[in-house]
Amino acid sequence: MEQLFQAIYSGILYGSVYGLMALGLTLIWGSLRMLNLAHGSLYLVGGYLAWTIIDQLHLPLLLAFLLAVAGAALVGLILQLALINPLLGKEGWDSASLIATLGASIVLESAALLIYGPQVKQMPTVVEGQFKIGTVLISNQALVVIATAVLFLVLMSVFLRASRHGLAIRAISQNMDAARLAGVPARTAFLIVMCISAALAGLAGVLLSSIFYLAPTSGFVPMVKALVVTIFGGLGSVKGTIWAAYTIGLLEAALQVYLGAGWALPGLFLFMIVMLVVRPNGLFGLGEVRRL
Amino acid sequence: MIQDQGLSTREAPATLSRLQRSAIPWANPNRLMIGVMLLLAVLLPWLTLRLAGGRFITHLLITFFVWGIVTQCWNLIMGVSGIYSFGQLALYAVGGWTTGILALHFGWNPLISIWLAPIAAVVAALIIGLPTLRLRGAYVVLLTLAFHELLRNYVVNGPTLVSGGGYGLRDVPKLPFEQFGGGWEILLYYYFGLTLFAIATYAIWRILHSPIGMAFRALRDSEDYAVSRGVDRFRFKLFLFAFSACFTGLAGGFMTHYQGAASPSLLTFGVMINLLAMIVLGGWGTFWGPIVGTALLTALPEVLRAAEAYRNLTLGIALALIAVLAPRGLVPLVSQAIRTLVRRLRKQDGPI
Repeated sequence: MEQLFQAIYSGILYGSVYGLMALGLTLIWGSLRMLNLAHGSLYLVGGYLAWTIIDQLHLPLLLAFLLAVAGAALVGLILQLALINPLLGKEGWDSASLIATLGASIVLESAALLIYGPQVKQMPTVVEGQFKIGTVLISNQALVVIATAVLFLVLMSVFLRASRHGLAIRAISQNMDAARLAGVPARTAFLIVMCISAALAGLAGVLLSSIFYLAPTSGFVPMVKALVVTIFGGLGSVKGTIWAAYTIGLLEAALQVYLGAGWALPGLFLFMIVMLVVRPNGLFGLGEVRRL
Repeated sequence: MIQDQGLSTREAPATLSRLQRSAIPWANPNRLMIGVMLLLAVLLPWLTLRLAGGRFITHLLITFFVWGIVTQCWNLIMGVSGIYSFGQLALYAVGGWTTGILALHFGWNPLISIWLAPIAAVVAALIIGLPTLRLRGAYVVLLTLAFHELLRNYVVNGPTLVSGGGYGLRDVPKLPFEQFGGGWEILLYYYFGLTLFAIATYAIWRILHSPIGMAFRALRDSEDYAVSRGVDRFRFKLFLFAFSACFTGLAGGFMTHYQGAASPSLLTFGVMINLLAMIVLGGWGTFWGPIVGTALLTALPEVLRAAEAYRNLTLGIALALIAVLAPRGLVPLVSQAIRTLVRRLRKQDGPI
């Protein structure tokens, strides 16, 4: 019973953060049809910026949070303007965008290594206090993380359904040609998608590295897990992604609790392989027709 | 597979026109160039071993042969057939570990066990390929990365037989070349590597210039048309995947015995990126691209030893720049430039 409760608690924590990461990936996939391999390094940008501002500059928490997320969004903007925009509409888009984002991720990762060194960084505890339910220790910081993540997932959902730009993004994901004919400015929409996606990755970086440690390579695993979530939920589907994030989070936590931490990633991958063989279009298999 | 298609005509009749001959490129290799290059490659170590630090240069050449095989095979998968597989390094490791374990723990003769490396790699490729190759794009990236991570995990945390307690395989028996004396040992390794490289390169050239290669170019350029003309995408992809795994595994096995070790650090992301950069810099999807890229990225880091700390940063910038400015890579860029230059010198606009 206690183990089950521990698994559910960690699962919700992981699921919330994976949801943020995966939502960014799926938005980009849906609109740009691009696999953004730099997503994990945007996570790093958020994490390291937050660490620098809180631990080195001793600025207030909220400011650090805002600056880190804005910084990640800015890096995303630069990425889009410098690397992705010149490739739009050229032949060999699939491979060129894959390589461009891979290059960007290597640049950001090695920059982090050069600036911060290979030692792991630990964010200071910003929200004090913890309490116990049974034998499961729950920290207030983790609760704040979950609350923030859920808040932003809801905000994103509202943004995509109700705002003008959100509707434009959804229109482009459903049918690019029709959306452009109807007067949706595609490049502006791409720019907004990239900024939002980068901000979400940065946010995930801030939140998750406040609980775990931070190293120049620690963007890779969250990105791979976000990929697992995105594909499990059906590429390009927002609803599916959020459901999948919590499913994968709970599954990972259960694997950790019942089989040991070493099994989490291999277990997820084995699950993924079986899943793709059985249902190649994901949990909410939208196929190629309906997205977002 | 070639004979099935009924397309293969090995011997071209002597009376074909130039245009007709260019339609069957596998029938007319440039024999003179191949001969000269092979002769140079055979004589090269006799020259390098006389230079100061010659052993190291020869060692670099052997490294070039091994990575050259791997990048050519990976290019066949990534560039030619458009399967975004990140599992090539894992296949290389499967080969290396197979023969390493057989020789180290079961006392096999390395000269025999090395031939099991390609077989194991092909089996692994079929295991990954069967579920993966029906899928596309992002799915393939994820599944092959997953396979890579699973293998890395197993090699680090697996039973001691495989992981050696986290150090990998150490003191693996080398190929029995030392009995010929110190000077001969590295020379024999060089010739072994050269032979493997030459065979792999010829096989890949043959594949590229065969009905299979043409089917892949058709699939890449217009998939709908190729499929409607009867190209079975899955079967061709699986064949190429297994074919490239065969040579990759063999290269892995050779490297394990040459170094006498197989370390889990082989499976880090940095090595993978380095290999990918070789393909991308040289020319994605071209025959010469991976060879030139491998030569560049094997030689340059040794020349620029001082910049070692900035190696990854430079590689990343180079990848991004290439993707934006010259997505086809350096080899097509340079050959295009030379062709334009020649045409301008002749001052006439003929067809290319």
